[in-house]
Formats: sequence, structure tokens, C-alpha cells
Amino acid sequence: MSTVNDFGKNKAFLIDMTKCTGCRGCQVACKQWNQLEAENTEFFSGEGYENPPAMSEFTFTRIKFRDYERNGQSEFAFYKEMCMHCNDAACVSVCPVAAFVKTPEGPVIYKTKTCIGCRFCMIACPFGVPKYEWSKAFPLVRKCTGCYSRVKEGLKPACVTTCPTAITYGPREEMIKEAERRLSAYPDRYLPKVYGKDEAGGTCVIYLTALPFDELGFKPVTMRALPSYTWQALRLVPGIFIGVGATLSAISWFQHRKERVQNEQAGMLSAMFQHPREQESQAQEDQTSQDVKEDQRS
Amino acid sequence: MTNHWNDIQFADVILAIGSNPAENHPISFKYVEMAIDKGAKLISVDPRYTRTSSKAQIYAQLRPGTDIAFMGGLINYALENDLIHKDYVLHYTNASFIVDDDYDFDEGIFSGFAPETYSYDKKSWRYKTDSNGQPLKDPSLQNPRCIYQLLKAHFADYTPAKVCEVTGTAIQDYMAVARSFCETGRADKAGTIMYAMGTTQHTYGTQNVRSYAILQLLLGNVGIAGGGINALRGECNVQGSTDYALLFHILPGYLKSPEYDDVNLATYLKNVTPLATDAQSANWWSNTPKYLVSLLKAFWGEHATAANDYGFEYLPKRSGNYSYIMLMERLQEGGFDGMFCMGTNPIVGGPDSLGIGRGLDKLKWLVSADLWETDTSVFWKRPGVNPRDIQTEVFNLPAASSVEKQGSISNSGRWAQWRYKAVEPPGQAESDAFIIDQLYQRLKKLYSQGGVFPEPIVNLAWNYGTGHEPDIEMVARETNGFFTRDVTIGGKLYKKGQQVPSFGLLQDDGSTISGNWIYCGSYTEEGNMMKRRGQEDPTGLEMYPNWSWCWPLNRRVLYNRASVDPDGRPWNPKKVVIAWNETAGRWEGDVPDGPWPPLNKPGGRLPFIMTAEGVSRLFSAGLADGPFPTHYEPMESPMANLFCKQQTNPAVRPPAVLSDPEKFPYIGTSYRVSEHWQAGAMTRNLPWLAELVPDMFVEMSEGLARWKGIKNGDMVTISSERGAIEARALVTARIKPLRVGGRMIEQVGLPWHFGFAGLAKGDSANVLTAAVGCANTTIPEYKAFLCNIEKGGKKA
Repeated sequence: MSTVNDFGKNKAFLIDMTKCTGCRGCQVACKQWNQLEAENTEFFSGEGYENPPAMSEFTFTRIKFRDYERNGQSEFAFYKEMCMHCNDAACVSVCPVAAFVKTPEGPVIYKTKTCIGCRFCMIACPFGVPKYEWSKAFPLVRKCTGCYSRVKEGLKPACVTTCPTAITYGPREEMIKEAERRLSAYPDRYLPKVYGKDEAGGTCVIYLTALPFDELGFKPVTMRALPSYTWQALRLVPGIFIGVGATLSAISWFQHRKERVQNEQAGMLSAMFQHPREQESQAQEDQTSQDVKEDQRS
Repeated sequence: MTNHWNDIQFADVILAIGSNPAENHPISFKYVEMAIDKGAKLISVDPRYTRTSSKAQIYAQLRPGTDIAFMGGLINYALENDLIHKDYVLHYTNASFIVDDDYDFDEGIFSGFAPETYSYDKKSWRYKTDSNGQPLKDPSLQNPRCIYQLLKAHFADYTPAKVCEVTGTAIQDYMAVARSFCETGRADKAGTIMYAMGTTQHTYGTQNVRSYAILQLLLGNVGIAGGGINALRGECNVQGSTDYALLFHILPGYLKSPEYDDVNLATYLKNVTPLATDAQSANWWSNTPKYLVSLLKAFWGEHATAANDYGFEYLPKRSGNYSYIMLMERLQEGGFDGMFCMGTNPIVGGPDSLGIGRGLDKLKWLVSADLWETDTSVFWKRPGVNPRDIQTEVFNLPAASSVEKQGSISNSGRWAQWRYKAVEPPGQAESDAFIIDQLYQRLKKLYSQGGVFPEPIVNLAWNYGTGHEPDIEMVARETNGFFTRDVTIGGKLYKKGQQVPSFGLLQDDGSTISGNWIYCGSYTEEGNMMKRRGQEDPTGLEMYPNWSWCWPLNRRVLYNRASVDPDGRPWNPKKVVIAWNETAGRWEGDVPDGPWPPLNKPGGRLPFIMTAEGVSRLFSAGLADGPFPTHYEPMESPMANLFCKQQTNPAVRPPAVLSDPEKFPYIGTSYRVSEHWQAGAMTRNLPWLAELVPDMFVEMSEGLARWKGIKNGDMVTISSERGAIEARALVTARIKPLRVGGRMIEQVGLPWHFGFAGLAKGDSANVLTAAVGCANTTIPEYKAFLCNIEKGGKKA
């Protein structure tokens, strides 16, 4: 349970949009580390140079551009969209198979081997972060993992490492303190608000901006932790929920049974946070060996 | 850069003009933001409102190609309002020098102009001298023929109102720039200029830089922390490539390449070695013979002897201009059998690129050494040609990328940093050193069997080991240089084979070898200094003297002797680059520009050691197109020159084909985006980058789009006299028409990364640009041309 976490010590992103130059090094670094496919884009899909059109199974973070004029002054502003890694994450609370986990380090991660693709998380997330693998026959949910595979090894997330100007990474309480320091040191530069301090009950992604948040495309969210809402709602339909949950869990168990057996045969422990490229090549190898067997049979 | 990247954070005002650091030098922006956090102002001067402009405290729009008008106005503002750093100007510039009586300037033409050859006889641009040949000076700066007064008169016309009528800048923005930047004339304030290709790619690009230099010298901003004139180089090792003579007019270390009339070593040295015109001038270039002979010894080793002028006769002598535009013209005339393209993609990057394509058709063979198949290497299947008609044989040599080989890179701040090989090159890819070595070995073998003038090839000293490829450490050792025999200098014995510790010890008698004198000190007996990673910061100005190695002599801020007053006291005691320690009798801080005491002390020297007069030049006879910058219109301009009768740079021959403003009414300018790199071969083949900017596009104003019935994302055709291209329209409020000469003129902006090959394809902006270049450097005028724009694609 997430309540055992000391959120102040969680690792958090402080993203200062007044320092972001929109270079999108973060977008590329994310795809490189996670070995995510490039999307087929055409021209631009929003204001400015925005691309791809939305977060997706292939795009875990993205810079949204604002490009407009107000009172004769040009505005060219940027906002980094990513998983907020909530302290009390709605996705964690609604997942019927407990595929989502709030880690003690801060990132909210998910176990691909457990996920059954029910999409409750997508509905529950107030930020619209988890995305469905529409490209697959048996789609699962994917999202930014806060580079947990790096963080647990003492590295910073890929986007943080690449960003030349805007992202600071460290214990959440220090990031909030730093954000508040900047607000008081440069009152003219910022909107007087540390976004993520209280939003959705507090998140591990903290924003500072000059422009109103809704103008940058932030979704309005409540200050209360989302699980309190989900629980109230779910309390009214406990039988159905438990029923559905149990059924889905069972389906999941069977769906992934074959894989588990395969992995065990290969002498592999299920590597939750294996590098995606390794996972892919593993899958390919499995496929190839199967093909070979079939060939031999015929 | 006179300064270095980390130093930008110490500026009080940063003027980004002709550059877009947030997009094209994203890492540099870290230091810009550090400066802003400390209270500095960022000024972005750009035709387009860019990602840099969005971070700037002041944004001022200017019409492409009007930098000199813009800067001339600031020079005038600083002079008229007496905002200049007077002591600095008096002691460290040539402001007090008297100019020759024959010097004149009238209606945009300087004295000595020969219209038939588009050139100047620079005789009248000299200083007036006394009977001993020493320049006459007026320290009161009152003499009407002194440079201070001539400068004042030259820019007297450049009033804010007139400047803005030419540049299209809103007057309130212009005044905000003038007030903010000229405030750095105070001794305790530093202003820096960050510039790039927006400055240089004009028919008067060098004069654009000169205008920055003049303003910075007047404000006393050269040599100090947070100051300087900082060229943001276009890629990580451009500084290194010019240091090592990538350009035709220089040899390594900026020694002049010999010309046809330099018939022997003595003549060459006499022609290129300047004589000091002041007793207190260090006149560093007087050491030219030592550097040249040491270089020749590096080239030809034991075959370079006093008897054969150290192999001077082996050096090619040029008889003209071999710059890019000239080479491409000759290519189109069928002047070459073959061509090597190593990391270059001229069919995308060159001006008037359709013409370059036609030129490539005439080659017998073409070699392309690159990471990917470039547009140039597949020129024979470009749109509109039948491969059957093209007989060129093309060889593609897969090349290793920068992380797949070892060696040094020299960044814009002149820091030579050693890089190690991170991964093996894939497949058959090899390093450039391997490719060049193989080429050399084969040429040597062929020339050993005879041929015309084989000596320069067969006698080359090429001692870089016997490995698979040249040992780069050995190359670096030779570049630094070593002694060829035991010599005693200043009572100290240096043994044969010992590394030369600094260029002060290089000799002109063949006893030293140095492949590049400015790098002498980079690889000493203590080892490869470029590998150092010490993080000590004794000055607190982030000069990190033990991190890598910086030319010259690990000096982090050039002209740092100008950061102190004539007694050696720092102008700004809060940011001390160097200071004279009276008790110890030596300099402290950065490595000073020479060990001599301050100017006022016995044995003191003037701070600008690279000029013969020891001071910096507000007035310079060195350039082809005038001792002062003056505003001319770009070769293609929609308006008349409001400053003088002379429309364009008189020292540039207009090209045969120019776009007519009636037919092509809009100003076009080209630029780069963060997401792509140069001619695109490296980035348009990377899916993750292609995803971000997948298509060729053109930025235009909302007004122009309405007028032409164009909506955001529509396909449009942009044309000039050279050709027509298709692009998607990006309609944005960030592009604004310019109010110039009493009317509104629209401009469009085009990224120049795209070409017909690769993953992300698109038409090349350089189809539209003219093959005409700067009077001094011949860098093409990519940044200002005329074009038309219509809705619909080419076939529409």
C-alpha cells in the first residue's frame, strides 16, 4: 500500500516550464531508453511544432506547444506532458489485478505480466496518462514508469538526464522547497503556484509556469487524492466490482500462464523491469524457436 | 568565441543576434538561463519570434540582412550618449589613430574603389604615419581625422528612427535594446554577443561581425568575464576544423596559405609576417616563421631541410579563391573529374542546389563517406532526372560516427577535449583517419612508381604506427610538436624527441616540429592535456583550468589583458579574469595574453597582441569591403538602400540571375530547427527525430496566409528565380510582416534541412537561394533572398 511511503523522500521531477526551451530532447531520450517506436506523423499535430498528436503506447512523454498572440505579444510556450506519479495514485487503487504499484522510490509502475488490459486505470487517471496498445491483438496498458529501471540503479530518468535547462530531480520535499524558493526569488516570472504539491493529493511531478495552467493545457483536477473518490464510487458496487475483478484476475492468470511456463523453462525469473529491447528480442527468440520447431515437424 | 560557454552566465546583458541558441545550441542555453537567474537580461534580435525569443526579456524583430543598420544605430547611440568605456577605448583601441589624408567615404563607397573588378585598392585605408613610419595619434580624440571622429561621423546617420525604418524594428523595442545593451559600457557591467549563421550568411557577413566587434570594443566588453564576441559554432568540432585549416585560405593555426607569388620561403615570410608599429606592441604574428617552419617539419620531417626551404616548395600555392561557391561553379562547368564528400551533403546544403545537382551529373566519380546514404550520394536518382542519363560512378564509404572513434574535439570556447571510443563502428564503417590513411598509402604507392612532382606525397612524414588505423595519440603528439635535436633555449636543455612545452619555444631552424602551433601545449611531457578532467575553479569564474585544454596556452578568455586597466587592476573587481600582483610581480587568474607586466609598468605591453599596433581596431584595413561596416541591402531586396546610393555591397559581383521584387515580393530566410541537423543526413534518417519534424514546412504570417487563402497545414509552392519547392504552410503569429521604407513587407522562413532522400523527405530550401557570397569569406547569402508563395503544390 502506498501509505507506507514517505512521500517527502520520494524522488520527484521539478519541471520549470519558464526554463523549458521546447527542444524535445526529453521526448527523444524517453523513446531511446524505452525503445519506443517512432510514430508516423505528418506536418505538425497541434500548435507550433507539436508532434506526435497525443500520448500513446509509443509516446510516454511529449511537449505540448502553445503558439499564439495576446495583446500584440507572441507567446511560444511549452508544457511537458508525462505520468504525474501521484502519491496516492488512482490507477493503483482501481487496478483489479494489482498490476500498478507505487514504488517506495516514487515512480508509479505497472507489471506488464500482470496487466490484463481492462483499462480501468485509463478511466480513473485524472491526467489521462495510461495508454492502450491499440496496435496489438491482445492490448495491454502502457505509460511512463518514471524510468524505474534507471532510478532503482541510482540513475536519473532519461528525460532528466537529457534536459539542458528545465528539469530538476530529487526528493519530493526538496523539489517543493526549491519550487517555493524560485517563486519567492522571482515573483515576476511565475504564476504563484506549485502545481503537483496538492493536486490529486500530491504528485511526484511538480510544475512551475508563467502562464495560467489551463492555458498550457493542464487538465483541472481536484486537490483530494483520487483513490478516496474511487473508493466511494466502488463502495456502492462492491459485489460487481469484486466479481469483475476476480474474473479478470482469473483471465489474467490463465492468459499469462503460458508465458510464465515458458520463462521458467528458459530458467528466467520474470524480469519485471527488463529493458524493453531485451523483452522484445526475448519474444522474438521465443517466436523463432517455435517457428523452428514447427519447421522441423513439417 | 573570445570567451567560452560557461562564461555566458557572467554576463549582465546577453545579445543573441543572428543566433537562436535555445533551438540550435540548446546546451548553451543552460548558461543563458543561469545568467538570467542572476538578473541578466536576454535580448533576442531575430526576424522570427523563436524559442529563444520566448525566453528573452526583450525581443526585437529585424528584417533579414539589416544587422549593420541595427548595430550602427547602437554604435551611434553609445557614442552620442557618451555611454562608451572611455579609458578602454583610449588605451586599448585605435580610436586615437589618425587616418591617411586620402581616406574617404561617400554614398556607400570607400576610397580606392575599382568598379570594374568589384574591389578596393586599400592604400588610403592606412594610418597616417610620422617620418619613422609610426602611426600618428591624438589622445584627445578631437582631431577630425582620428578614428574616433571618423567612426562618429560614419554612423551619425544611424538614428533610431532611420534605423527602424530600414530594419523594421518597432522603435520602442529598439530603444529598449539600445538602453539595455549600451548600459554595459560601465566598467562593472558585462555584455556578451552570441552570434551564428544569421550573422555570417550575408554578402557582408564579415562586416556584420565587425559591427558587433566595434560596439563591444566601445563598451569595453572584450577580454572581460561575461563579455566578448561569441560565435556559436554550427557543430561540436567546427572550431577544431577551422583551427586545422579546413578552409582553403589558411594552413593549420591560421597561418596564411601561400599564393602564387610567394615564390620561396623568404618571400612568403616577408609577405605574411607583420612588423610592429608600436614599441609596446607584442605583435605576436612576428613569430610566423617559427610556426611555419615547425609546421613544414611536421609535414615532411627529415625531408624538410634548410636547403629545400623546409619543403616550402611542396606546399600548393593558390592563385585565387577556392571557396565553396567557386568550387560548385567549377563543378557545374565540368571542371572536376571526381569529388570527395566526407560528412557533407552539398545538394541539400549548397546554394542554388538545383545547379549543384546539374554539376554532379558531370562527374566521372563521386566518393561519399558518411553515416548514411546522403542525398548527394544518390543525386543520380533525384526527382526530375533519369538515372540512365548519368554516368557518374559513386562509391559509398561507411564512416564511423563521433562516438565510434577516439580523438579530440574543439568546442566553440576553444576547449580541446579528448573523447574516447564508446562503441565499435557497425559493419564495415571506419573512422575518417582510416579512410584518409588508406587513401594516402595507395597514393604513395602509385607516386613511388613515378608521376608529376611526386615528392610532396612520397616524402610526407606519416609516422602514426602500424595499426589498423593511424594512432590518434601519435597524431596528437605531433600536432603539439617535439624537438628534433638537443637544443638549449634560455639556458635550459631540451632533448631530442621531447615534447615542446609551449609555442614560445618553437623555432624556425628546424629544431622543432609542430603540426599546429596554437595546439602547442596540448600534449606535453606530462601527457595528453586534453584528457584532463580536473574540476578546480580557482577564479570562481568557471574557467576550470585543469579541465581539458584550451588554445592558446590554456587561456580561457582571449584578450584578457584588456580586462584590467593600464596598471593591471581589473576594471571590474567583482569578476577578476586576471590581475597584476604587484608584490609578486606576476599575473594571477587566467593565463594572461603574454607574461609581460601591465601597460604602464616598465616592459609593459599592449593587450591586443595579435595586431601589429597592439590595440584593437575600430577601423580595420584588413577586409575586402571597407574599414568600417556600412549598411547595404542584401543582393536580393525588396527596397532601396535608405542610407546611401550604393544598393548592395560594391565588393561583391552580383550573380547573373537575381529574383525580381515585382515577381518575387516576399523576403525569404532559412534556418535550422532543434530537431534536425544541417543537411539532414544524420537526423532525417532517425525515426525518432523524423517523428518530431516530418515534413518540409514554411513559416508565414497570418496576414499573408489570409491574403493568399492559405490555411495552416496547406501545401504551398515557394519560388524564386532559381526554382520552386513545395512545403506545408505553418501559419503563425510569430512571423510578422515588417514595416520598412513606409510599407509593409511580408517574410517567410524555411528550414533548410530537407532533401529528396532519407526517411523524412522534403524539398530543399536551397533550391531558392542564390549562389552569391560574402565579399571576404564567400559564405553564401542564405539568410536573405526574394521569393513568391502560392497556395497548392508544384503541380497545382
